[in-house]
Formats: sequence, structure tokens, C-alpha cells
Amino acid sequence: MCGIAGIFAYLDVAPPVDCGELARISARQAARGPDGSADWVSPDQRVAFAHRRLAIIDLSERGSQPMHSADGVLTITFNGEIYNYRELRAELERKGCTFRTESDTEVLLQLYADRGPAMVGALRGMFAFGLWDARARTLLLARDPLGIKPLYYADDGWTLRFASQAKALLAGGAVSREPDPAGIVGFHLLGSVPEPFTVWRGIRALPAGTTLEVDAVGPDSPARYYQVASSLERRAAEAGDPSGARTRLGTAVRDSVRYHLVADVPVAVFLSAGLDSGALLGTMAELGVRDISALTLSFAEFRGKPNDEAPLAAEVAARYGARHIVRTVDRAEFERDLPAILEAMDLPTIDGINTWFVAKAAREAGIKVALSGLGADECFGGYPSFAELPRAVRLLRPFHFVPGAGRLLRCAMSAAIGLGAGWHPKAAGLFEYGGQWAGAYLLRRAVYMPWELAALLDSDLVEEGMRRLAPVSRIAAELRAGRPLGAFDRVSTLETSLYMRNQLLRDADWAGMAHSVEIRVPYVDPFFLSALPPGDVLEAIDAKAAVADIPRPPLPDPVRGRAKTGFTTPVGQWLRAAAGAAEDVSFSAASRAWLRHVWQAGWTGVALA
Amino acid sequence: MALLTDGYGTRGGIARYNQDLFDSLAEGGARAFILPRLGDATGLALPPGVEQARPTLGRVHYFVRSILTAWRHGPFDVVFCGHVYMAVLGWTIARLLGARLWLQAHGAEVFEAPDRWTRRAVEAADLVTVVSRATRRALLEWADVAPERVRVLPDTVRDMFVPGPPSEALRTRLDLGPGPILLTVGRLAASERYKGHEQVFAALPALRGEFPGLVHVVAGDGDDRARLEARAAEIAGDRAAVRFIGFVPEEDLPDLYRTADLYVMPSSKEGFGIVYLEAAACGLRVVGGRGGGSADAVGGQTGMLVDPDDSAALAQAIKRLLGEGRGDPRTIEPYRRKHFAVAARRLLARLMAAPRHAKDAA
Repeated sequence: MCGIAGIFAYLDVAPPVDCGELARISARQAARGPDGSADWVSPDQRVAFAHRRLAIIDLSERGSQPMHSADGVLTITFNGEIYNYRELRAELERKGCTFRTESDTEVLLQLYADRGPAMVGALRGMFAFGLWDARARTLLLARDPLGIKPLYYADDGWTLRFASQAKALLAGGAVSREPDPAGIVGFHLLGSVPEPFTVWRGIRALPAGTTLEVDAVGPDSPARYYQVASSLERRAAEAGDPSGARTRLGTAVRDSVRYHLVADVPVAVFLSAGLDSGALLGTMAELGVRDISALTLSFAEFRGKPNDEAPLAAEVAARYGARHIVRTVDRAEFERDLPAILEAMDLPTIDGINTWFVAKAAREAGIKVALSGLGADECFGGYPSFAELPRAVRLLRPFHFVPGAGRLLRCAMSAAIGLGAGWHPKAAGLFEYGGQWAGAYLLRRAVYMPWELAALLDSDLVEEGMRRLAPVSRIAAELRAGRPLGAFDRVSTLETSLYMRNQLLRDADWAGMAHSVEIRVPYVDPFFLSALPPGDVLEAIDAKAAVADIPRPPLPDPVRGRAKTGFTTPVGQWLRAAAGAAEDVSFSAASRAWLRHVWQAGWTGVALA
Repeated sequence: MALLTDGYGTRGGIARYNQDLFDSLAEGGARAFILPRLGDATGLALPPGVEQARPTLGRVHYFVRSILTAWRHGPFDVVFCGHVYMAVLGWTIARLLGARLWLQAHGAEVFEAPDRWTRRAVEAADLVTVVSRATRRALLEWADVAPERVRVLPDTVRDMFVPGPPSEALRTRLDLGPGPILLTVGRLAASERYKGHEQVFAALPALRGEFPGLVHVVAGDGDDRARLEARAAEIAGDRAAVRFIGFVPEEDLPDLYRTADLYVMPSSKEGFGIVYLEAAACGLRVVGGRGGGSADAVGGQTGMLVDPDDSAALAQAIKRLLGEGRGDPRTIEPYRRKHFAVAARRLLARLMAAPRHAKDAA
């Protein structure tokens, strides 16, 4: 975990690296790594790396970065954790490698020396790194398969700059702040900015599951080494054995939790009253972890009411002998923190507030690392979309095949809404978008629909943004696999590679890192995903409920019952109030108002903040 | 297969770039068949592996010949298209041949979005090379092409441009007096009025107050020369202040640069500005104009960029740089041909390593 940055003046005509700029980029990421800060400049001043360290594995000075290989050829600046580093290390030692540190960082260096860029496929963990090979004179940028750790880069045609945060690249002073219509339109459509776009034209996100090689003529196209759809396709191709499915599910979760506990500092857990985080805590206890801290967020508005999560979470914590910390947040604190939240928010998003407060509480409790149940809904089918999308596609497909019918109905319904018909504005898009997977997904996740944007943004910007973003074909591209996926796997693929990646994981990163807290996500792990039974089997055994029976002893009964009704937070109310929306609007309308507020307060200042 | 506006046997910036490129690729072992709009290579020694057809100016004729060439001389791995104006043709040929498309952009032609078909052809290119960061930025403004595929391959400075003693013969022949001498080299074309000659003329009266012997030498010819001469007479104060010396052949340019004291061209729309580099390579300091791609050719150590419309800033920059004497020619070493050649061959290798029509396969 940490903050990384680097500059590579790759073209011969580019001026040498400006160390002042690198220092400014790195300083903007100080919160990501309070335990140390260092940088490195190559002797010819063509490459420089910076690193802010949050020490979690090998706390000694030897584990500090940027780290060099013993022969000095390779240098790395790395953010993240490699959970299988001990196995990889043992394998390399068998081949004759000798190690100087106990860190996972050194394993990356030696693995690269052994396998080259293909090494990323062997890594189990979350990572983003820049690796300089002085012999080949290439820079390798890499990002983990599912996009847990962020990596942004700016290439002006002479020099490439990269950092963990987009705003840090701007802080360096050499990257243009020119707005990117595709990212801006993406944010207004979906509530988060879809990669590879950011809201700045000069800055791109390195897509999850890709590597980028930069040589003397600049970056090559990002090379994909992992794709959710292909991985689920392979999983589906295996002979599914429904009888052993529950055992297989339990084994996969236990295995993933075990890997995610690798650390030289204590690992805590974020505990809601839901099944997914409870199963993590239960599994940790079952694996023999002692003195676990479990952290629950409670809202002053809900105290004593049935929607307060704290009492149920306390019951779960008690069952597994965890130290339960309940942190209460109220609207006044939210309003006090709001400027800091907008400042820490790296790209505009309509979520992340809960994570901000739970990470803040973790820091207050002295916790550096915590497991989170993020990602369980995507792999176990916990979202309503798992039922809604297949239904929509089945029912509305006929409209998709009649040219113009959907559009015509949309215009008619929009007009009716304008005249006061009490439908949600998105309903108008049902017939135009609902009959195909990508369109139905857009409809499900959209905050605003494409035809509504003209009222919010400049029309040229919308036109250009829509052209380059091409949301429906971009969504459809995620589903491309050798053979068509089943319905469950399709929804799982879309939620994992779009909503989870662009919204949940990005929010977990900025909101966690703002408080120097590492959030680990055992349900977000390609090794775990492929160890699970196929999607149709998960659906058949009702995996989202079956999670409760994974730990020994299983989760207490009240939690199972409660899980069906779901939980609410007052954050929606606060956002509504902060955004100045009317009191009686639905949450969906509140998120629309909040989106406008985030955009106006955080991004529409002088040339996009 | 290369579709070029200016092939071997022509002059000018684009011609030189094309020749540098195909010389470099041929050195790396690549073979090329060039179909030029202009340029007769009869009697010229082309690099080994490079063939050039007779020039074909007419558009329809050129189109037919390119199809015939593709059919007769193929198969080709890469179609190189030397100008954005021919992008649609380049795309068509590349499609017919199942070849990769490499498109070259020079500058001014991409500062505005082209028609829809050209735009689509550009977006389908597997590789786009541009001469400057500004050209790249401008192209990415309107083209939906992955930024990684748009690579900068800057113009080069020929090895003949090196420092040397001023030419007294030239000074006497042109009757330039004691100086200091400001120099501008470039075509005097009505279509290229952005080069900023008039802005320099306007600064002369004040400058000559301080440097009485100062003259502005304007090298180059073109359809705008008469108008510029009239403007010079009008605003420069003294007829002797501006000397139009007409077209100067390339072999005479180094002496001209060495004899001058400062290179001044506050251009607002230069695609790249190779002349800035040639001047700097001969040891001159350089005043360039903000806007366009000049920033890539006027580095921090060789000179200054000014806002072309700010005459006070222009005069001040000229005064300041005149006071600093000669520049350091080492700063332009990375623009020498050997760097260009390595980069060009690497780009070709990268293109060959990528699957054909990556865009369709993605």
C-alpha cells in the first residue's frame, strides 16, 4: 500500500526529468504513505521514481522503496500487496535466486528478471507499479487484474508521468487541465468516471488487468492480461458439481481470507450487519486469528431504531470473540468533513462517503489494515440486477429488433414525463435500452440517461463525449468472450468490470488512503473467482445466503433474517440536504442532486479544480 | 507502400522529412515502394530497397495508380500515408491489401478537425506519427484514436548545420553593415502569414534606437513577398532596416545563420519549426512564437518563446538574447538524424509486431 509516482523522459529530445515536479506529485500523495518517503533519479536523469510508504510487510528500512535489484539493473516503485509472495519467493529460490529482504517488493523485482512483463499473471494480490529496466531501457507499468489499486498516466508525446492519483499528476504542474468530455459525460451518466478516461484529457487510467510498456518512442498500447468475462467463461466450462458446491464455496472463501491476512501488522475487519463481512470475520476467527478488531459504522439518526447496524454487528463480533469498535457519525460531522472529502476525492464520484468514515474510524483506532466485504455482491449475485437484467432482456428484446421503436417510445414517454406523468425519468429508456444486455445494464446503473445530459452540460461537450465514450458498446465489450456467458455470469461480469471497478474500488482507494488505511478485499481476487463454482451453480445454491454457513460456527440467525431486508444509511438524506434537494425526494433523485453538487463544488472551479 | 505528397527529388520540409524517414527505414532493412504526387527520382541514387514511381499529380489519376500499384507490386505489410489529406485513400488501400496503416501528420493540417471521412480514416490508423507535441494534442482533440498510437517523431537537423565563423563575404555581398543582424528564414506565402514577419518589422524602429546598425534579413520567396516589402517600408521606419534577400539554397543556409546574430520568427502556427533548430545548431539564439508546435523546437536553453501579438515582449526578448551572445549548439544534438533513425525503425518494428488492423480486432 502506498503512493507511487514517476517520470520518464523517453524521447531523446525531451528535457531531463524535473525533480521538483516529481516532488510536487509525490507530496500530493503524502496521505497514502506516512511511514516513509523516498525518490530515485537515474544517473542520466531520464527516469525518476518517487514513493510514499505505508509499511505493512517487512517494516524494516530494507523494505523501503524505490527498490533496486542487486545488480542495479531494475528499479521499482510499487503500491499494493502480493499475497502469494512467499510461494513465488520459494519458487525463485529453488531456481537459485537469493533475497536480501523479507519484502514482497523484492519478489517483484526477481520475478520480473525471471519472466519479464508476463510475471503479472502469477501475482495474487492488489498492485500498481512502475518498473524500470535499465538494460532494455523500458518502463513497465502494471495494474492488478480487477483494478483494486489505481494507476494514472499522462503522456504528452515526449515524457510520460504516472502516479497513484490523477490529482497528483496535476499538482506536478506540467500536465494540462484541459477537460475530457468523455470522462465528464461518463460521470454524469454513471456516477463515476469509467476507465480509461478521467475528467482531464491529458490523464488516463491504466485499465485494470493491463500492462503498459514504455520505450524510447513512448508507450505501446496497454496489453490486457486478464479479463473477467474470459475467466468466468473458463470457470463455466468446467464440469459443475452442484453437490459439492457449498464445500467448494467455503474452501474458496477460507483460502482467500487466509491469503489476505498476510501482513506484519494486525489485520482488522470492517463489519456491517450483513452476511459478507460477517463471514470474513468468522473465517478469520476460524483460521485462528486472535484479538481481531471489528469496526462498525453507526449513525446517530438511527440509534435505537431497527435500521441501526450496530446491535447485530455486535452479536456477530461477540460470536467470534472480536473486539468490537462502533463509531457513530452524525450529519454535523459529515458537513464538517465535506470539504476534505471533496479534496481527497480523486475523480468525481457519487459514493465513497461510508468508506471515508469507516476508514477515518479505523485510523482513530490505530488500525492500518482492514478486510472489507466489498465485491461479494458481484460474485455471489447480491444485487437486484441479477434478477432484473435477465428479465428485462427477455421481455424487451422484441423492441430491440424493431428499428426505431424504442427511440419512438422513449421520446413519447419523455414527453409524458415532462407533462407530469409520474414515472422515473429513466423509465423512458426502457424500450430503447432494455432489450439488450449492455443497454439494460446502462439503464440499471445510470444516474442520468444520455438524452438528459443536454440539460446539464454544454451540448458540444455532450456530443463529443458520447462519441468517444460510446457507453453501450463499451459496456458490451466487457461481455466479449469465446462462448456466450450464462445470465448470472453476464451480470456478474458487468458488475465486476464496471460498477465495482469504476465506483466501489476507486472509492475504497481514495477514501481509505486519505486516512492511511489499507482496505483489503478478499472477494475481489481472480484466484478466488476461479475457485468458485460456476455462476449457474452459485445461483442454484443461493450463494449470497449460503455465505452465512461458511465459518464454523456459522453466522447467528438474526443476521440471516435481517440480510433479506437490507440496510439503509442516512447518507442519502445528508447528501440530499448537502445538495439542497427537496426533502421528500427518493434516494435516486437525491443521488442525481448529489452528483450535480459534487460536480459543481469539486470540479467546475477554475479549469476543473 | 508509401503514398507521399513529396517524394525523393523535391524540396521543402515535408520532402525532407519523408526522405529522412525512408532513408532510415531502408538502413534498417525495410523495403519501400513510393508513389509520389510530386518528385521525380530519375537519376537519383535512392537507398537500397527503396523504389519510387513517377510522380502523379492529378487526384483521380493518383487514386487509380495507387490501386494498380497495390495490386501489381504487393503484398505490402504497411501502407504509409504521408499526409492527412490522403488519409481516406491510405485507409482504402490498406483495407484492400489487408495491411497496417501508418499515417503522418505535419502540423497545420490537423489544427482544425477535417471532414468526417478523413477523421474516420485517421481513427482507423494503426500508427499516427506527428512532428510535435502540439500537433499530437491538436489531433487528439478531434480524433477518437488511442493516444498511445499517436507518436511524436520530430524533424531532424542535418549534419551540415554546425557552428562556424561568420561569412564576411556574405556580409559584404549583402551589404549588411556592422549589425547586429536579425534573421528570418521561410517561405513568403500568403497562406503562411502566421510566421510573424510584420511583428518583427514593427519592433525595428525602437530596436534601432538602441542598436543603430541593426538589420532584419528576410530570406525566402513567395507570393506574399511584394506585400511584405510594402509593409516593411511602411512600418520599419527606415528602408535599410529590412533586407529581402530572396530564396537561399540549403547549402548556403549555414553561412547565413553563422553570419546572423539572432534568429527571430514569432510564428503563431508553426507545425514544428525546423528552421529554429537549424539556426540553433549553427549557434544562434532563437526567438519563437507561442502557439503551434514551436515550443518543441525552441527549448529553454536555445531561446525564448513570445506571444506574437505582444510587440513589447518581442522587442524585449530580442534585446535580451542579443545581449547573451551565442547559444549552445549541443542542445539540439537529440534532433540529429541518428536519433530520428533509431526511433523510426523502432516504430516500424512496433507496428509490425502488432496484429494487422488492431482496431478491428480489439
